[in-house]
Amino acid sequence: MEQSEVMERVVKILTPWVKDEGALANVGMETNILEDLKVNSARLVDVVIAFEDDFDIEIADEDVDKVNTVGDAVTLISAKL
Amino acid sequence: MSSDTQLGVQSEMARRHARQRTVSLLTAPLWVGTSILLMRFWFRYRIADVEAVRARYRTLRAQSDGPILVCANHLTLVDSFLIAWACGSLTYWFTHFDELPWNTPERTNFGKTWFARALIYAAKCIPITRGGAREDVGDVLERVKHVLQNGETALLFPEAGRSRTGRVEESSAAWGVGRIVGAVPQCRVLCVYARGRRQETWGDFPAKGDTLDFTLSCIEPKSDAKGLRRSRDLAQQIIRQLMNMEEAYLEARSGEGAR
Repeated sequence: MEQSEVMERVVKILTPWVKDEGALANVGMETNILEDLKVNSARLVDVVIAFEDDFDIEIADEDVDKVNTVGDAVTLISAKL
Repeated sequence: MSSDTQLGVQSEMARRHARQRTVSLLTAPLWVGTSILLMRFWFRYRIADVEAVRARYRTLRAQSDGPILVCANHLTLVDSFLIAWACGSLTYWFTHFDELPWNTPERTNFGKTWFARALIYAAKCIPITRGGAREDVGDVLERVKHVLQNGETALLFPEAGRSRTGRVEESSAAWGVGRIVGAVPQCRVLCVYARGRRQETWGDFPAKGDTLDFTLSCIEPKSDAKGLRRSRDLAQQIIRQLMNMEEAYLEARSGEGAR
């Protein structure tokens, strides 16, 4: 799967949890999920479980520690596909 | 990360932890004593049925030698001090120092001055930046796991911050708590529901002169789920237990008010 396709799906999955919807207009690989998109940190687990379901992959608890930006999520998912 | 590097990181963490524990132990008469004096005489707080709360704590502790994580609702900045004061006397904590829980205060609340940083270092605190870099949060969770595996006690607020509605909120459950419980075999959770009688909602401190009620119960969360779902499931069990305790407490209080 192309990285751009992964990115597109990641952004789509993130959208319901994003509090700053304006930030979605300029979303990129460097966009910080918690700081820029204002996703509640307590809900990050739901986001990552949604990644697991959508991409049919398994993500370990410890791997979530590597996910700060949209690019981190794309890289993590791409490595598991 | 290679397993050698991983081991190196863990032993460095263990060394740092042992160093901080020694400083905390040596300075305990100062910070434990001062905090109790402040709560008792400056803030004039009173713990309702304090002897019964302490007896309940000792009974729950005595039920198992396994690791125990204290999880509480969170309404004020001083909840961790109040919980320690409610569960044990000064003498008790000096003779059971490893039972006095390690805390994970929000770095932005307590890390502003060197004095505050030194104080929380001495007072068994592992500061965390909530919503901060995930690796930093992960390091704190690893440290808490180490604390429990080391036979010590830690206190976490599963809502990951003071409850903005004044009530325990399921939607605020931070899955990190479940991650710790899931990673530490036979880990029990001592749920503590604490509330001042004049505490309407969240704030920095309970009102001066307030009487605080404490309810304690112990659970051993279990889940057949795997990975992140398991951690989320375990965290939800803890938060639901606190919600049930809150409901029972508020019902009892309103019953008392009606009489």
